[in-house]
Amino acid sequence: MKDTLITARRKKHEIITFLVCFLVANLANIYAIIAYHTPAVELITSILYVFIFAVALYIFWCLIRLLKYEIRILFSRK
Amino acid sequence: MKQEFINRREFLRNLGIAGAGAVLAASPWLSAFSEVTLTGKEKCRLGVIGTGSRGQFHIGFLLKNSKVEIVALCDIYRPSIEEAHKLIPSAKVYGDYRKLLEDKTIDAVLVATPLNTHYRIVMDAFDAGKHVLCEKCIGYNIEECHNMYKRHKETGLIFFTGQQRLFDPRYIKAMEMIHRGVFGEINSIRTFWNRNGDWRRPVPSPELEHLINWRLYRESSKGLMTELACHQLQIGSWALRKLPEKIMGQGAITFWKDGREVYDNISCIYVFDDGVKMTFDSVISNKFYGLEEQIMGNLGTVELERGKYFFEDVSPAPGFLQMVNDFENKLFGSLPFAGTSWAPETANENNGEYILGERPNTDGTSLLLDAFVEAVITRRQPIRIAEEGYYASVLCLLGHQAIEEGRILSFPDEYKINYLNHKPQTQLGV
Repeated sequence: MKDTLITARRKKHEIITFLVCFLVANLANIYAIIAYHTPAVELITSILYVFIFAVALYIFWCLIRLLKYEIRILFSRK
Repeated sequence: MKQEFINRREFLRNLGIAGAGAVLAASPWLSAFSEVTLTGKEKCRLGVIGTGSRGQFHIGFLLKNSKVEIVALCDIYRPSIEEAHKLIPSAKVYGDYRKLLEDKTIDAVLVATPLNTHYRIVMDAFDAGKHVLCEKCIGYNIEECHNMYKRHKETGLIFFTGQQRLFDPRYIKAMEMIHRGVFGEINSIRTFWNRNGDWRRPVPSPELEHLINWRLYRESSKGLMTELACHQLQIGSWALRKLPEKIMGQGAITFWKDGREVYDNISCIYVFDDGVKMTFDSVISNKFYGLEEQIMGNLGTVELERGKYFFEDVSPAPGFLQMVNDFENKLFGSLPFAGTSWAPETANENNGEYILGERPNTDGTSLLLDAFVEAVITRRQPIRIAEEGYYASVLCLLGHQAIEEGRILSFPDEYKINYLNHKPQTQLGV
């Protein structure tokens, strides 16, 4: 098994990607609070749901990137 | 034995209720618990008439009360009295209750005999100057109940009935909340008591069948109505502070067709003057729903046996979960392969709250007996306790009568006493 190198640039990129997902999840929560007329305190009390949603978004975004990468490799081989 | 005093303040503190006034307004018989412990050195000399399973159950509690001395036991069934005598070897044993009543040193009697024998024993006990605690249902018919109540009033002797829920802390607190309007306007009370069993006791020889399984025969019992309903129907007058005006019912033997004469499947409806209803159902061929009293107000529900209450308005799920739920419903709602939703429901699950903050662990029997002993020692009849017992029994018997006659009954005026919304037709001193 060979060593894998994760560059600082990659780490920074992934952290920013997750933060963007977390921001999107929070925006979704703000939308839900307004749309469903629920208390603003849910910005804090629903943070666990928001975090889980952010992780789900991040995984979803990773899968899309992986798919894009695989397709690119497939075409470059041809 | 450690001396235990009943102190009302302490009792209320244990209930988690600060003010005595509200509780005493809802449950005035708690006046049996004195504010001061004046009776610590006095004793109630008690005779137990009927030492079967129920009698021994009571004896178990009474033995823990240092203010009571069980001095006599009476039963006509030898194995029962032998078992009870093992618990209290010092007690004198009688086969005839009249001999027991002749003992002038006995202050009070506890009657736990078959239903059809209550009347004679209780009336004789009053005549002999004894205070009485009689198991429910107090009389075999309404006239008997009325006469017993009248005799209690005439003699001024203490009269308690086996309505232990009146002393159950969770009921007391729930009633205080109901009267305070916490659950809004009460429009319906549902009570039921379901079991799965034949209700029979083992009989050593056939000639003892009617003596041991007295609950199953009409000559000695009215079955589920007199043995079970008494406890639950009393909840209605306690919660609503009035008595029902109309009674209807249906009963049949649908499962246990084993020679019994009383119904194993009954249903009764009690209607109050404003149309509010209280129901009682009982079957003894299915125990899934068990035993419960459900008091339903427009703001909430109380389930007294579980010791819980539930408010109607449950705060909705967080907006985020509602959004996810709606999105999921829109996405999968019309697809034939979509099964049960993985998304949370939009309303939070309503688990309710425990009335006393924890799971109930007592049924009030111990406190009922303590209160009786206290009342005998102080010679003070607690307010409303005899009346609650009287009406609980009468409502059971009216339910039975409605079933038998297959018609809607109105509460008979001649059996109304001066209590809650009832006024006696003629002044009989009651």
